[in-house]
Amino acid sequence: MFFPSSHPWVEGETLGEHLEERGVSRRDFLAYCAELGAVLGLSSMMTPKIAKALQDQQRPSVVWIQLQECTGCVESVIRTAHPSIGDLLLDIISLDYQHTLMAAAGHAAEAAGRAAMEEHYGNYVLVVTGSVPTKEDGIYTVIGGRTAKEILEEAAEGAAAVIAVGACAHWGNIQAARPNPTGAVGVSSIVKNKPVVNIAGCPPIADVVTASIVHFLTFGRIPALDFDGRPMFAYGKRVHDQCSRRAHFDAGQYVENFDDEAARKGWCLYRVGCKGPASFAPCPIIQWNNTTSWPIGAGHPCLGCTERNFWDQMTPFYNRLPDIAGFGVERKVDTIGAALAVGVTAGVAAHAVATGIHRARARRELPVVEKEVDRG
Amino acid sequence: MTAPTRPPTIPEAVAEATPGYRWILLWRWPLRLTHWVSAATVVVLIVTGFYIADPYFVTWGEASQHFLMGWARFLHFTAAAMIVAAAILRVYWLFAGSKWASWRALLPVGKRDWRNLVKMTKYYFLVRQPEMPHYLGHHPLQQLSYTAIYATVIIQVVTGFAMYGVSNPGGLFYTMFTTWLGPLLGGIQVVRFVHHALTWILVCFIPLHIYLAFRADVMDREGELSSIFSGGRFVRSDVRFEDE
Repeated sequence: MFFPSSHPWVEGETLGEHLEERGVSRRDFLAYCAELGAVLGLSSMMTPKIAKALQDQQRPSVVWIQLQECTGCVESVIRTAHPSIGDLLLDIISLDYQHTLMAAAGHAAEAAGRAAMEEHYGNYVLVVTGSVPTKEDGIYTVIGGRTAKEILEEAAEGAAAVIAVGACAHWGNIQAARPNPTGAVGVSSIVKNKPVVNIAGCPPIADVVTASIVHFLTFGRIPALDFDGRPMFAYGKRVHDQCSRRAHFDAGQYVENFDDEAARKGWCLYRVGCKGPASFAPCPIIQWNNTTSWPIGAGHPCLGCTERNFWDQMTPFYNRLPDIAGFGVERKVDTIGAALAVGVTAGVAAHAVATGIHRARARRELPVVEKEVDRG
Repeated sequence: MTAPTRPPTIPEAVAEATPGYRWILLWRWPLRLTHWVSAATVVVLIVTGFYIADPYFVTWGEASQHFLMGWARFLHFTAAAMIVAAAILRVYWLFAGSKWASWRALLPVGKRDWRNLVKMTKYYFLVRQPEMPHYLGHHPLQQLSYTAIYATVIIQVVTGFAMYGVSNPGGLFYTMFTTWLGPLLGGIQVVRFVHHALTWILVCFIPLHIYLAFRADVMDREGELSSIFSGGRFVRSDVRFEDE
């Protein structure tokens, strides 16, 4: 559908003209707009509006900075099996700075980024992947002699909207897991003066990133967010409530081992630690790799990677209940609880016997008084 | 609490006909209802709660033919609603009930109460003492333990509602409980852990409570057990009570 193009962006050219020059048919473009509308949960009535908004765009500038991270989110976005999404993300926007993908390197790359931010000051969309280390003045991530915090603050200053992609930019991810040695925090802890869209997940589904950018370009504002800054169109429902294995949960049919009969039948993964009941994500609906499959569909419990602190609260991944730091109790909470209950019962029995002995002795020692009391 | 003018009830008539004894009404029906509704629902909540935490029974055949977890959750939520209703009634009764059920009787406050707390503790450790304090309502050790149980139930209710809320984002329970409790404790899974761990306190409380109630009835012969059925106690007229 979208082929690698030798046609560069021309100054003043709209996206519609640009795509036409590249040989993209109107039909393909509308189909793409309808697809994005579906991801956003919009009615097909909105497709013309999305198409109009996109085709009138003049080279929307996107600056994508990568901080303390593994580049997995970039991999997720560019390696989608959905060619329209991946290609169009890189084609409808002018990705002016992306240090993994851009041809330039070193000082040239930094200069390009700075030039884009100056030229489109107040208008570009800032995409951030990676967390921001704050301990020891943030020396744990330094790019081109500047710390991650400085880079983010400078880039956010002129941004029209900030989109934090992935768990690192959302809340800090594994770097921020206990004991968080680098003091890693998410974008919203640094950028306070403008709304931040958190595209949660490790990594998030690429279509959600694209849809959020398109939402901003179409409506001029960021999508509706939940209490944790995640777009409601994607993170408004629990994995558990959209799960294709949910019927087995309600019926009481559970996988107990990954090689048992229940696993082969595709039963619920609740007992092997599925965190679907605690996680909000569009995975069951949008799925991964051109809607090929998704973790639970493939027989693996959900890890809950779209939730804040998931390395701390969702681990052990194959147990229902979380670990408590520095303490071996967690997996034994039931053992300890049962031991306490048995201990209390035994203690009660022992106390009853002791009471009997105590009373018998008291009766021997004070026969007269006791008799009088008994006569009452 | 002033007694309204009415013909004497049966226990009052019996007490009148029994020299040396009197009958005192302690717990009126709202408090007794709270107690028995809590007792029944806590048992249901513990049994269904442990099944929901770790579904040790599985069903076989087509999923459409079974609804085991569905029923367990339905019973759990229904019992939860009932214990919340009982808790609301109990809160009302803290202000409308007798002085033994009042909020003033929730915790030992005075110096005398704390001295008696030591005496009661010694009593339970079978230490012989010259004289024992007598209470009509709850003695200081009971006040502490029952108020701790109230606190446990409140935490269970709040954590339970926070987990219940996630199934309906944007709904009432989600807005009232999930949105702040999850971030406060470090995630909904931590909320789940707290809810699970505290259940064991309620499990341990059951044998302890039943044993001590029976023991008090057998040892002190002051009608402790009958007070939670009939609401009152037959007590000897010559005993002086700390909380009369």
